[in-house]
Amino acid sequence: MRKVSTTPAPSATYRLTEEQVLLRDTIRQLADERIAPRAAEIDRTAEFPEDIRQLLASQDVLALPFPTEHGGLGADLLTICVAIEQIARACATSSLILIVQELGALPLLIAGSEEQKARWFPDLASGKTLAAFGLTEPEAGSDAAATRTRAVRDGDAYVINGTKRFISNGSVAGLVTVFAVTSPEAPRHRRLSCFGVEVPTEGFRVARLEHKMGIRGSPTAELTFQDVRVPAANRIGEEGQGWDIAMGTLDRSRPGVAAQAVGLAQGALEVAVAYARDRKQFGQRIGDFQMIGAMLADMDARTEAARQLLYKACVEIEAGAPDASRWSAACKLVAGDTAMAVTTDAVQVLGGYGYIDEFPVERMMRDAKITQLYEGTQQIQRLVISRALLGREG
Amino acid sequence: MALRIVVLTKPVPDPAAAAEKLGPDSRLDRAASPAVINGNDEYLLEAALKLADAQGAEITLLTMAPAGGIETMRKGLAMGAHRGVLVTDPALGGSDVLSTARVLAAALGELEYDLVFAGFDTSDGVGGVVGAAVATLLKLPYLSSAARIEPDAEGGKVRVRRISPTGFDLLEAPMPALIVGTQLLGEPRYPSLKGIMAARSKEVVTKSLADLGLDGEQIGGAASATLVTGKRTPPPRAATRVVRGTPAEGAKEIVDLLASRRLV
Amino acid sequence: MAGIWVIAETNADGSLARSGAEIATLARSLGEAASIEATGLVIEPDPAAAAKELATYVPRVMAVTEPSAADHTWSQVAAQRAAELIDTEGPTLILTGAGPDGRDVAGTLLALLGGGVLVNATAVTWEDGEAVEMSVFGGKLVTTSAFAESIGARIVTVRPNVVTAEPAASPGKVETAAPKGELTLPAVVIVERIEEAAAAAPIEEARIIVAGGRGVGSAEGFALVGQIAEALGGAVGATRAAVDSGWIPYAQQIGQTGKIVKPKLYLALGISGAIQHKVGMQTAETIIAVNRDPDAPIAEFADLLVVGDLFEVGKAVLEELGARKSTT
Repeated sequence: MRKVSTTPAPSATYRLTEEQVLLRDTIRQLADERIAPRAAEIDRTAEFPEDIRQLLASQDVLALPFPTEHGGLGADLLTICVAIEQIARACATSSLILIVQELGALPLLIAGSEEQKARWFPDLASGKTLAAFGLTEPEAGSDAAATRTRAVRDGDAYVINGTKRFISNGSVAGLVTVFAVTSPEAPRHRRLSCFGVEVPTEGFRVARLEHKMGIRGSPTAELTFQDVRVPAANRIGEEGQGWDIAMGTLDRSRPGVAAQAVGLAQGALEVAVAYARDRKQFGQRIGDFQMIGAMLADMDARTEAARQLLYKACVEIEAGAPDASRWSAACKLVAGDTAMAVTTDAVQVLGGYGYIDEFPVERMMRDAKITQLYEGTQQIQRLVISRALLGREG
Repeated sequence: MALRIVVLTKPVPDPAAAAEKLGPDSRLDRAASPAVINGNDEYLLEAALKLADAQGAEITLLTMAPAGGIETMRKGLAMGAHRGVLVTDPALGGSDVLSTARVLAAALGELEYDLVFAGFDTSDGVGGVVGAAVATLLKLPYLSSAARIEPDAEGGKVRVRRISPTGFDLLEAPMPALIVGTQLLGEPRYPSLKGIMAARSKEVVTKSLADLGLDGEQIGGAASATLVTGKRTPPPRAATRVVRGTPAEGAKEIVDLLASRRLV
Repeated sequence: MAGIWVIAETNADGSLARSGAEIATLARSLGEAASIEATGLVIEPDPAAAAKELATYVPRVMAVTEPSAADHTWSQVAAQRAAELIDTEGPTLILTGAGPDGRDVAGTLLALLGGGVLVNATAVTWEDGEAVEMSVFGGKLVTTSAFAESIGARIVTVRPNVVTAEPAASPGKVETAAPKGELTLPAVVIVERIEEAAAAAPIEEARIIVAGGRGVGSAEGFALVGQIAEALGGAVGATRAAVDSGWIPYAQQIGQTGKIVKPKLYLALGISGAIQHKVGMQTAETIIAVNRDPDAPIAEFADLLVVGDLFEVGKAVLEELGARKSTT
């Protein structure tokens, strides 16, 4: 398990560092100039944007989550989230490339051996290999402990059988971190183990891709495993440690989804403000009508509130706060709902123009919905928070 | 031997923000607007970085600016420049062209270089005269309007394709030389994130006028040879007439306007 | 001895450049206002033709025969020779163009002589001294400046199209001057002059400009822009986006990093009017835009905006022009 740091939370975390500001501005420019012009087409064609992957790789964006000794940048969670936010402001699908690269690699960051890190991180950090996170199954969504995929030890290997569903980047990844049952009889949270499956490999198949409402350029795959042999050296962590690794992963990955949500809200807000400034009706700027002005004010205030909760959550989680799960769930809950509300209001501000693809806000609204669903639905986030408040019975 | 290149860079108000204004002293109010590296300087930095990629070069950024100038220099360092020199001194506020050129020449006097690069002009001053003045003060060969820069480190010479009214002039001069270049040198790269992380540890030396052996009475704002005597807002253009309709209707409107203004 | 001096540029064929004629006209009017003689300088390997032409604009021209300007960069040589003459006569004001050569001359002179320079003048007048207008901050503000007392050279670079070139009532006299000082600045040799087949007339001098932007979409798309320009007797211009896409040469680029123009008519096709482009063309007398987006920034400063497809409207303009021509 990732060691819980004893470093106290820094006292002054209310401004980004000079370096984080430069990084933010650089990615914003990159996103404005190179990603935003592609966003509508990525959405329309629903094709994975290989060019954007290359761009993010060449600018070292995909290296952010990985340690410096393995070719990464060793960025802290806040820095990663600042990057995700800026990409998502232009194109939520493109931001998912970084989000999933981190998500898929987190089991290794948390519990991988030095040998595994040295073997896989350099290609992940350079963007040569993409990662995916294989936890969810057709019958095991919110209830991850109900996983059915099996891994059976056979000599110096494991044989994996089962199906994973809703796997982001599942069809383009070269490394999938797969969760499978190794001890069916063990207590509920000791049944799973985690494996690094290098693909393509025999018995591994991308069964289908989903047709989605939003984030359409990010392939969401159903993956089937039929007698897939994985060397024992690819087991991440100990047998039975899978549940802890999965939950530890989500604690650190949910802020990434929150960052995507904040970026979406910010992007939609900016479009709405520009429109309200330019569009004239009844002889004046529509933004000068109080009803529109008030909407914009609320959109801005909500977005900023979500952003600040996210940034604070990142710092707390990075500092090893004992209630990391609560911070993680809270920032995703608030940011996801904010993204949905702000993008919906942006469509409203643009009126009929907001509903057609001439402007990006309808896409942003469709994209925003997923942030209320994945890496735990908003209901699951509330469950996590309420459990943190109440503690377990007895 | 790696080339040693000094790139002159200036922080300017971000033209995209369009927030420039004059302060009460009729000098540019630098606090009113976010600062960025002058766009035309980035082409030269890119040219230097390409030379570094191709044949190896040590790149130094030289900037004369208020102390905050170090922030925009960081971007240049993140793009790949190796170090920076920032000349900053309260006496330099309101410097005219000659003062600026003298300060830059004095700072260059303390550096070792084969080439000095400068942008075609700056988006705030738009004069495009400082480069020639610096070259003249230092008695450096001066090659301007460069579309391509080809140093021959072995031969100690540099060739430049200079944009001319009828095409290009191919110029040649011994190094060290000062080159003013253009957009044709190529689109500047984005700083990579590795570059941003590395920029933190790169050295930026700050120098005052006294460090350069210059006197704040003789140089800088106090010695400016020019003064602003008035300012006014240009009259707004007449309101735009917007025409929607068939292409033929639009075309008729255009040609009618041309005819009424005797342009056809 | 006072004077208002012009350092004139020439064309490749040795004739006077248009900027030279314009600035000489400006110098003459300043001279008349200030009761100071206006003097033109031509420094060339063979200055005779341009000097004679320049004398139609100013009362006095000094022609300097300078063989080394044939194969060395002109601005360096011209600035050194001009500096010698300025040292001797001490003119009140020295005018150059604001283009690449004029800037180089101005910067070099400034360093050789000391003094001050005011750049990119959009107007120069004389009321008890020079008043130099400059357009700053992307055209948001016009400032007026003057030189401080008792400085060295007082140099002004002047933008194209600030005045219309007009010959004087009677031509001036041409003198020859032969400054003989050593040329101390390092020589920069012109190894070769490369002519570009496509090099068009300088766009700064065009009375009518038809310009295309990102919306033109391709090099082929610029054929239509060219046809309209030809039909109107104008030149083709472009935005940086079009130049960066390789559809048209850099020489045609208008804006912050390209040329600054002031034509009678600017017809903008598929140009949004971003600030970087606007600063290059906003002083055009008449601005007409064709754009699909009625909210494009150019709607803020065009005289007429036709909302529509530039190809459809462009072709219709050609037809309309053809129809009117045939009926008149």
